Amino acid sequence: MARQQRGVGRRRRGAVGYGLPTLLAIGLHVLILVLSVISLPQRQPDDPETSSIVQATLVSTETATDQAQRAEEARSRAAERQAEEQAQQQQEEEAREQEEERARQAEEESQAREQAEREAVEEQERAAREEEARRLREAREAAEEEAQRRAEEAERQAQLRQEQEAERQRQQEAAAEAERQRQLEEQRRAEEEARRQQEAEEQRRREEEEARRQQEAEEQRRREEEEARRQQEAEEQRRREEEEARRQQEAEEQRRREEEEARRQQEAEEQRRREEEEARRQREAEEQRRREEEARRAAEAASQGLDRAIEGESDAVANARQAQEAANSFINLVRRAVEQAWVIPPGAGNDMAATVQVQLGPSGELFGATITQSSGDGSFDRSAVQAVEAAAPFSELRQLPAMAQRDFRQFNLRFTPGDVR
Amino acid sequence: MNDSMSIPHLIMSASTMVQLVMLILVIGSILSWVVIFQRTFVLRRARRAHQHFEERFWSGVDLNELYRETPSEQETQGAEHVFRAGFREFNRLVPKTKSPDAILDGVQRSMRVAWSREEDRLTLHLVFLATVASASPYIGLFGTVWGIMGSFQSLSMAQQATLATVAPWIAEALIATAMGLFAAIPAVIFYNRLSSESGRLLGKYEDFAEEFHSILHRNLQGRGEAVGA
Repeated sequence: MARQQRGVGRRRRGAVGYGLPTLLAIGLHVLILVLSVISLPQRQPDDPETSSIVQATLVSTETATDQAQRAEEARSRAAERQAEEQAQQQQEEEAREQEEERARQAEEESQAREQAEREAVEEQERAAREEEARRLREAREAAEEEAQRRAEEAERQAQLRQEQEAERQRQQEAAAEAERQRQLEEQRRAEEEARRQQEAEEQRRREEEEARRQQEAEEQRRREEEEARRQQEAEEQRRREEEEARRQQEAEEQRRREEEEARRQQEAEEQRRREEEEARRQREAEEQRRREEEARRAAEAASQGLDRAIEGESDAVANARQAQEAANSFINLVRRAVEQAWVIPPGAGNDMAATVQVQLGPSGELFGATITQSSGDGSFDRSAVQAVEAAAPFSELRQLPAMAQRDFRQFNLRFTPGDVR
Repeated sequence: MNDSMSIPHLIMSASTMVQLVMLILVIGSILSWVVIFQRTFVLRRARRAHQHFEERFWSGVDLNELYRETPSEQETQGAEHVFRAGFREFNRLVPKTKSPDAILDGVQRSMRVAWSREEDRLTLHLVFLATVASASPYIGLFGTVWGIMGSFQSLSMAQQATLATVAPWIAEALIATAMGLFAAIPAVIFYNRLSSESGRLLGKYEDFAEEFHSILHRNLQGRGEAVGA
């Protein structure tokens, strides 16, 4: 009983229960879990993707490619250049002919225009002369009519004077005044005639001025037309130049497309050839065995000599192709390895470029990497050399044929940071 | 990339053995924290009670009165418990024997029992804390080793040994070690702290027991002289 009471008492007053600590402990763990889930993804920075940041391109392999391929490329390039030059010459000749034709047309047009202008000027002059003559005649007729009218009036006035002579005698003073009035009137008439003649002359002058103005306006029109012609000609020249530029661009694009297609075909052929390589090697091994057997069998050899010679030639051609393909794949492998290993210094600009000469040992180990063409930035050059050192050894060199191995012991790599994100 | 390598995703995709190890470690961590909180509260309350009792004991109050005022023995704690055990034994032995040595021996024995019970009460579950502190790193390491074994097995299956085939295994394996350390580090720290504090409290109880024993001894000496006279 005492023990039970003791136990009850301990539970009743027993210092601290386990409810609150349990709650606290679970709450603490939940809090830590929530914090780790929420904050950890934020802490993780975006992983910089190392692939395809760098564009390290193999510029020249010096003795790498086969001379035959080079010669073919040179021939194809020369043929393309000749074709381009011929096309350009043809275009230039066409342009020259067109320009000459245009010049002739322009000269004929200008001559026709000059003749038309001369005729127009002559017609205008004739019209002006005829108009002046008409005006003079009209003025003379008007003056004669006025003179007749005046004469009639003078006769009437004379009759009136005769009728009024009696009155005049009576009124001599009034007559004298009338005579004075007549004299004044005559003077006025004479003045009016002089005025009319002056007005006629002024009209002539005005008409002449108008004719001159018209001529000037026509001259201005001609000038404007000539300017418009010159502008048209300039625009035509521009159009011709633009068309030539377009033709050149199109020609270049066609060349590029053809080159790209050629590259794609080469790549596709490379894969096919690689697959075929193994088959060919097996065939070669079998053929060698056969040849040895054939050598032993001298009698059969004589009959099959021609066939062997043909096979040997085809093998040589196949070997050369294999060497080229292997070289291309090796170049791609080296490029990829160096690109992945290259850490571009942060200050490098997009237009920086450095060329590194790489010397390899017989099994692909790096003998030396030296900068042949510096970018001007020491850290950039160092990063390029470090990339080559990090990417070494290029053990793929062993897989190349013996001839290509010798060629690839030394080559140049050109480093240019491409689209750096 | 981030989604597949996040910690919850790694834990959910881990192998069964590693998940079991992680579960054990999580349970150990939770229990150790329960013990840490519970012990912290217990020790804080015991320290305050001891301080309060010492002030009352040394305030010159009559011991009979103090004994009467204190609650029954089952509900007392710490120095109060020791005092009650000793004084009750003293009161029981005084009428039965006249030998002061026998009385003091009985009082000392009963006080030692009370002190032992107090020690048991204060250091309760601290052993569990010590166990978690020492064992959980090894448990986590076991999970890590198991996970890396799995990673190498998967590596032997794969044709190309890339980092992507090994990385998830190693990451989840390392999570096991991290959880082991996460459980162990607080357990170590709080075990040291709580054990030292309980040891200090027990030392205070012992000191009080000695002082109380000396007071009783003085009283018995005075009574023995009075009886002898």
